[in-house]
Amino acid sequence: MGFSYADPDIRIQLTDKAGLVKYERDCAGKKESRYLSRTFSAIHIHPVEPVNLPEALTHFLEISFPSLLISPGAEQTIYLKFPVEIGVFLESGDKTDPLDVFSLVPVKFSLYGSPSSGVITRWYQSDLYTDIPLIDLRREGVMSLLIKNSGSETMTVSRAVFDSGSMCLFYGDRVAMTATMEILSPLIAHTTFSDIAPEDCPNRAIDLYLTRGFSITNRKGYFMEAGTI
Amino acid sequence: MNILDFFNLTLPSTTDIESTVTSDNNFFGTISPRDVFIFFVGIIVAYILGLVISHHIRVRMSHRLKKDQLDILTGIIRAVLMIIAIGISLPGLLDLSITILLLGLVAIITIIGLSSQKVISNMIAGLALLYESPFATGDFISTGAVSGTVVSIRLFSVRIRTTDGIYIHIPNDQIYSTTVSNNHANVARRFVYTVGIRYQDDVKKAEEIIEKILDNYTFVLKNPAPAVFVSDITPDSVVLMIRAWFPSNWKLTQDDISLSTAILPRIKDALEAAGIEIPYAQRVVWFANQPTLPADIVSKQQ
Repeated sequence: MGFSYADPDIRIQLTDKAGLVKYERDCAGKKESRYLSRTFSAIHIHPVEPVNLPEALTHFLEISFPSLLISPGAEQTIYLKFPVEIGVFLESGDKTDPLDVFSLVPVKFSLYGSPSSGVITRWYQSDLYTDIPLIDLRREGVMSLLIKNSGSETMTVSRAVFDSGSMCLFYGDRVAMTATMEILSPLIAHTTFSDIAPEDCPNRAIDLYLTRGFSITNRKGYFMEAGTI
Repeated sequence: MNILDFFNLTLPSTTDIESTVTSDNNFFGTISPRDVFIFFVGIIVAYILGLVISHHIRVRMSHRLKKDQLDILTGIIRAVLMIIAIGISLPGLLDLSITILLLGLVAIITIIGLSSQKVISNMIAGLALLYESPFATGDFISTGAVSGTVVSIRLFSVRIRTTDGIYIHIPNDQIYSTTVSNNHANVARRFVYTVGIRYQDDVKKAEEIIEKILDNYTFVLKNPAPAVFVSDITPDSVVLMIRAWFPSNWKLTQDDISLSTAILPRIKDALEAAGIEIPYAQRVVWFANQPTLPADIVSKQQ
């Protein structure tokens, strides 16, 4: 069995070594190498929820963007960039196991809410777009975010927090997610994901969370209870 | 006069003893194989039922409760089931009434309570610790002179492993009555460091260098933003204070030393690379009557 992928930043190689398969990855100088048994039937490489690196500290993604004012009852769709992490999965029979996760994007963490009741988030800064922006799909994906203001006040929105347990990641010509943020009050907003694939991204990514054996406790989205600014 | 007459006592006859043993009002009655069977079946059923209920609780509540809480909860459920089983089957086995059994139980508890107050206070403190949950297994805590990672929380004691790998057993009443600092109770922790630079160094430049290091460091939280500022001007240096927040559940924030060794060398290297030095403590000493050096030494120095 042999497999090889290489571009200026990423190199992945599978080679036969003495009855075993050697997996080697080099992502911008960060190397990983391990031996595998020959019992797997396929290898899948695709984007995964961007909350796994450098270690599993959080399952929340926070995207900060320039402030957007939205009036009561209004709806606005914007596009945001989010970081891409690439997962390598091994398929064996009807079971798929994660082998490796890497990324070309630097990781930064943040705190949403207070230290006592808030959550640690994987933080990412994005510009705000009204059309799908051009991206390097090895580094960034595009999130379509529909913001609904169901409250009675004009609201300022400059960040969105998502629970990776409810994420639905699609890939094809680009990496995409479709999300909704419903602002319920000045301090509370609810973020959810759509599981309908965009036309140009027909492939649904395997949920890394599920393959790691974590139980999904929150498929219904996340309530942002510390505001949207 | 023998001793029995002295105390005005009379020994019962053999017939009296036999009638007492076989009477319906006796304490132990006759134990039939059926009673023994019911007793053991009751115990086994309670044991199996306890296992089944514990398993279901673990499956359904493992994401809501911590391992220690699950252990104690399932332990209590199993103990209660066992007590109920004994309470139901023991009177039949020993032909005791519930009243006598309860009286016996109260007497035993009283005796145990009086003779082992420390054990009881530890148990009550253990229950209080479980209810209040000031820390959980895996948390790094400091209590009294002890600091370490909590290995287990039991009904009578807490077991801690220090950073030196030493196992410490602390009774619950002791830990409950002293101050406990938990490094992991909140999701984020702030660390404070101070760095001194020379008077002639550019303070603004030093601040920018440190801010850049913190900004590029993955685990320094973006929000709350880190802060770098002049906190003191000492005789030897200008002191810069660094405040930065980190995730509490990150392995290097478990104790203060690990993080210091990760952060401070980077700051030192970056400052030195920019020509900013961390000064030694120094004193300029002036003599009131400055001694004059001999002419030959002055000429040598020149």
